[in-house]
Amino acid sequence: MGSVLIVAEIQNGRIREASYELASVAQRVGSASGRSVHSLVAGSGVESLAAEFAKRGGGTVHTADHELLANYNAEAHATAIKAAVEASGADLILLSNTPSGWDVAPRIAAALEAGFVSDCFDVTVEDGSLAFKRRVFNGKLNAHFSANSEKVVATVQPGAVKPFEGTTDGALQPLSIAIDAGALRSRFVEVKQAEAKGVDLSKADIIVSGGRGVGAPEKFEEVIKPLAEALGGAMGASRPVVDAGWLPHAYQVGSSGQVVSPKLYVAAGISGAIQHLVGMKSSNFIIAINKDADAPIFEVANVGVVGDLLEIVPALTAAVRSAKGA
Amino acid sequence: MKIMVCLKQVPHQDARLDINSEGNWIKDDGIKFEINSYDLYALEEALRIKDAGEADVFAVSIGPERTTQALRTALGMGADRAIHVKDPEAEGSDSLGIARILAAVAAQESPDLILTGFMSDDGNFSAVGPMLAELLDLPHTTAALKVARSDGTTTVDREMEGGAHEVVALTGPCVVAVQTGLNQVRYASLKGIMAAKKKPLDVKTVAELGLSGRVGGAAAKVKIQSLALPPKGKGAEMLKGSANEIAAGLVSKIKELGLL
Repeated sequence: MGSVLIVAEIQNGRIREASYELASVAQRVGSASGRSVHSLVAGSGVESLAAEFAKRGGGTVHTADHELLANYNAEAHATAIKAAVEASGADLILLSNTPSGWDVAPRIAAALEAGFVSDCFDVTVEDGSLAFKRRVFNGKLNAHFSANSEKVVATVQPGAVKPFEGTTDGALQPLSIAIDAGALRSRFVEVKQAEAKGVDLSKADIIVSGGRGVGAPEKFEEVIKPLAEALGGAMGASRPVVDAGWLPHAYQVGSSGQVVSPKLYVAAGISGAIQHLVGMKSSNFIIAINKDADAPIFEVANVGVVGDLLEIVPALTAAVRSAKGA
Repeated sequence: MKIMVCLKQVPHQDARLDINSEGNWIKDDGIKFEINSYDLYALEEALRIKDAGEADVFAVSIGPERTTQALRTALGMGADRAIHVKDPEAEGSDSLGIARILAAVAAQESPDLILTGFMSDDGNFSAVGPMLAELLDLPHTTAALKVARSDGTTTVDREMEGGAHEVVALTGPCVVAVQTGLNQVRYASLKGIMAAKKKPLDVKTVAELGLSGRVGGAAAKVKIQSLALPPKGKGAEMLKGSANEIAAGLVSKIKELGLL
């Protein structure tokens, strides 16, 4: 049996939470299938971080220390990961589905001629085989994938499993990594932090968000905004609305927009793609209005309505106004 | 300059998703298809580069007969030519199989820039762009929100978490997988659709690309064992009735929360 290799990730000088979630998957899959657990901690000056990770689920931690690994670089990180796969004898390579994980993981899979499964919400062992659980069709269906290749590279959705909380004994094994700066064809330039938002949804107690199902940009002014105003709340939107240019990015709720947890979240015409759910599922109370009874948004909603939002939302706005007037 | 745009035809976003009898994909007969949303942004970006200067933009798609429609749409929007890899042997390919086919097309064409969508709306793998780059030994980046070219360098703003951007510079020919929203996608004009009828649409087979036995379902390294609707969890309490009855029900819920 091979081993599991966790590709840990450093963010703001720390091993990120998602890497401890990978440790949780790796430890569980490792014990269920007889695989030993190995990790890679790659960066510049990583020894103390690697030592900490070895104690907290990382197992045998291979370190790749190089100034060209200080920032994410697909080619440099691919070199380090391939070296760690070789050193660990891993047949299961786990990364987080983060901006660097999703960027490098498929590249590694192609280089290793490995099977590839992305954004898994779980990886388990069933009847002795690895089972990769993930969503397809933007969250509308759940799929169980199997692999028949010698090696598999999988990425795991951040937040999908609980981080590893136990302690482990692990040694550090430095890898010798040769990266020729002159040979790299991709170069990290800078990170631009998000600009100050014109709309701060994080402070709103009530948010009324509209999605693609609202149908047209003017319907936000005519239908969604009046309900938000009647409730004394703010208006938000899902990604497709912003991508279509109906509303500015400042209104976007989701993993690439604002993450919110108001007392009340109303989702109108939002089907509930994962990236949106991540941004609002911790809201205290969620009302979902959608024409599709199978829409994933109903999974996270407290109250759901299947129907035409262009009828229901104005009726709700009128009812809220009369309740306030009473 | 030459730009290759990879397009996938996927079930329409509003199509009914019924699971097939084998339980490994959806029933795809009788449903509507469209160009993958991410790939439209890739095509638009290529057309904007073409509009700003000189470029030969060609679209590539892999799929059965119906895929012709997606390529005709791309030609109508302004692509100069299209390549359709139409071969039953390609069916059932996993991400690596698709990347191999696209890499074989790219090897014949030597494009300066390859644009793909960041993800497909059906499989949601986000795999083909980086895999294609690896197979062609080219640099790549993903989730592009801005693409700028000068003197053989492609500078890309890529999407990070929480609205931050990472800027990456790629030297020479490269693969860029684009995020939705990086531009506003044009519609095919009537004139464009008429002109598209005269544009070249080449059909290729897997054997012509030298890939017999290396792609398709038999060569796939990952497979779907089962497919199901997500479990309903606790599920929402569903309100029924007329719009006014529903509104009254929702108002009483909001009152219970102390928000009215």
